[in-house]
Amino acid sequence: MSDFAGMEDLLQDFLQEANDLLSDVDNKLVDLERMPDDRGLLNDIFRGFHTIKGGAGFLNAAELVTLCHLTENLFDRLRNAELHLTPELMDVIMAATKGVREMFGELSQGVQPQSAETEVLAALHTALGEGAPAPAPAAAPAAPSAPAAEAPAAAAPAAGEPDWVALHAAATGQAAPVPAPAAATMTPAPAAPPAAGVPAVAKDGAPSAFGRRSTDKPGGAAVGRRVEERARENTIRVDTARLDQVLNLSGEIGLTKNRLTSLRADILAGKSDSETLHALDQAVSQLDLLVSDLQNSVMKTRMQPIGRLFQKYPRIARDLARQLGKDVELVLAGEETEVDKTMIEDLADPLIHLIRNAVDHGVEPPPERKSAGKPEKSLVRLEARQEGDHIVLIIADDGKGMSAERIRAKAVEKGLISEEEANTLDERQSLNLIFLPGFSTKTQISDVSGRGVGMDVVKTNIQKLNGSIEIRSEPGKGSVFIISLPLTLAILPVLLVLLGEQPFALPLSLVREILPIEHDKIREVGGKETLVVRGEVLPVISLARLLGWPLDRHPEYGVFMQTAERSFILGVDSFAGRDDAVIKSLEDFRPRGVAGVTTLSNGQIVLILDMKELLSDLGQHPDVDRGMRALEFS
Amino acid sequence: MAADPKMRFLVVDDFSTMRRIVRNLLKELGFTNVDEAEDGAIALQKLQAGGFEFVVTDWNMPNMDGLTLLQTIRSTPSLKHLPVLMITAEAKKENIIAAAQAGASGYIVKPFTAGTLSEKLNKIFEKMGQG
Repeated sequence: MSDFAGMEDLLQDFLQEANDLLSDVDNKLVDLERMPDDRGLLNDIFRGFHTIKGGAGFLNAAELVTLCHLTENLFDRLRNAELHLTPELMDVIMAATKGVREMFGELSQGVQPQSAETEVLAALHTALGEGAPAPAPAAAPAAPSAPAAEAPAAAAPAAGEPDWVALHAAATGQAAPVPAPAAATMTPAPAAPPAAGVPAVAKDGAPSAFGRRSTDKPGGAAVGRRVEERARENTIRVDTARLDQVLNLSGEIGLTKNRLTSLRADILAGKSDSETLHALDQAVSQLDLLVSDLQNSVMKTRMQPIGRLFQKYPRIARDLARQLGKDVELVLAGEETEVDKTMIEDLADPLIHLIRNAVDHGVEPPPERKSAGKPEKSLVRLEARQEGDHIVLIIADDGKGMSAERIRAKAVEKGLISEEEANTLDERQSLNLIFLPGFSTKTQISDVSGRGVGMDVVKTNIQKLNGSIEIRSEPGKGSVFIISLPLTLAILPVLLVLLGEQPFALPLSLVREILPIEHDKIREVGGKETLVVRGEVLPVISLARLLGWPLDRHPEYGVFMQTAERSFILGVDSFAGRDDAVIKSLEDFRPRGVAGVTTLSNGQIVLILDMKELLSDLGQHPDVDRGMRALEFS
Repeated sequence: MAADPKMRFLVVDDFSTMRRIVRNLLKELGFTNVDEAEDGAIALQKLQAGGFEFVVTDWNMPNMDGLTLLQTIRSTPSLKHLPVLMITAEAKKENIIAAAQAGASGYIVKPFTAGTLSEKLNKIFEKMGQG
């Protein structure tokens, strides 16, 4: 049961918008460190906290109101130059911002936030020059209501400026002594009695009788403040123009369908003159066009600017750099690039990891940079852009770069590869070793990047999105990670291969090239069939064998495939071309090795193969696995 | 002037959640003819295009804040008759006075309920009826 029964919609809206707002505040705080007297920035940040406070009031999130209120007051003083921004004050502000974000986390779990950490509240009070109130929890929620309550009260005595107060009373139609409506107006603390006339409003934004706190939950301690598991967002914001386009297209498809229905009647009635057939041809072509337009439009409703993801990172980079005593600026580019919504969510963790990695391992501490003749401030660039039907993400640093030799040595030392294997690896292959599970370039795992998530997880996550990741590095100049992703997950470009007469679909993202298999070129290595392609020894695995079909003939063609773990040649009989498959998942009875199905233009149903699963079944045979080990990193 | 359910409202706030809250509260009071604006500048454009009979505005907004919007409305002959209800999270005396001074028809402090909103609106309608 949530604390927000009946107001989930409001809560969702609030969280989405307030999260964006807070990320914006975070970025402005990073800017503020450089320009501490910028009034525009101070104003914007003030307004951010103020707006969050206003929204939080409607959710009865008293603790959030309190924290925002104090922070807002601090910024009010700063923008009026009554206070000056010191590094200590900045730390207080950062802690408060973090507190607000944690409260959002609690709200997203459907529980009222607990009070902010006492030290943070105390520091805010001290900064505001108000002695910290008694740490009794009741004192904090009272804070915002106190000034609120005094306003109408002040109207009654009307001591100082009788004119204005009278005018105000007249203007608002408020009789001077109005404690009752005032109480109804301000119900910030959950403790406040619900205002009269509330039942009518109960479903949206009213202070109904909740106010249960997360601490009240059974097993509340476990739920606690640090609930990391973030509920996945199930809602999406779509530009109305895009929705209108979808509506418009579905309308036109309806019209074309009517045209076809009438043509069908004509044709069934035996009418087959050239005019009717021409009309049929036209209607079908038009439908074709409309449907593909509709598909594109629907796809576009899922597209979100990646900036929504990027905006969280400058703050993360800044905090980390400070912690490590480095001076790092994260430069963003291409924030407007649009990416499928699900993909944005799944990219969050890999990108954080790569950024942390760049700040932690990539760039050098200022003294080292100075002696290398580089500017003390290091730059990490996070860039997104669309290239054809791909999205490319780039994380680049201007640090010390990676040494292929050191990486090879480390991999050997960790027992991930043998000395002989190491000697055969070229530069690119060596860099790719960092994607192996259990690899970490720093001898001592720092508490920063080494959080149990390695580069192997980054690579796996990217590959789950049908994407690929590539490293380029120049010693002394820096490293670049290049992630390439398909535009969308809903449509999968596939290669159709044939086994006998039966077509199968393979994800095109895994296919490197297609080659004829000349049987006299196949060599047996360790009891396994292999083929040498431009100096690279690749195992040949027949698709028939993977599927458990009888091996009654030799495959004619090979598909050079590259998955997360290995490169190999898949033996097939023939090809039927490439297609853009709309994946239908087989939710209830998903056979192993089948990612889903799709329908071909002739109505035939084709299985889309999950190569990773098929290969992992094969991997259980030690002989096969052994043979492929050496080739894993190519 | 009795409250006409068809009365056209303009809700001005930079926080869309807040616009939605106000819109919902107005709906509960029977007012469904509601348009929204993200800040004072956009609001002013919409108001100048005509057709609005009531303005509910936030105070703190980018580009043009609620107070400036109110002052501009009061100094624009074609708009100065419009009732303007100020909504803000501030209940400081100087804010209320500043709003009154600028000619606000009413002042309401967040968070509030449909009951409170209704009360404030009715007071304004009464006054408009008298005037």
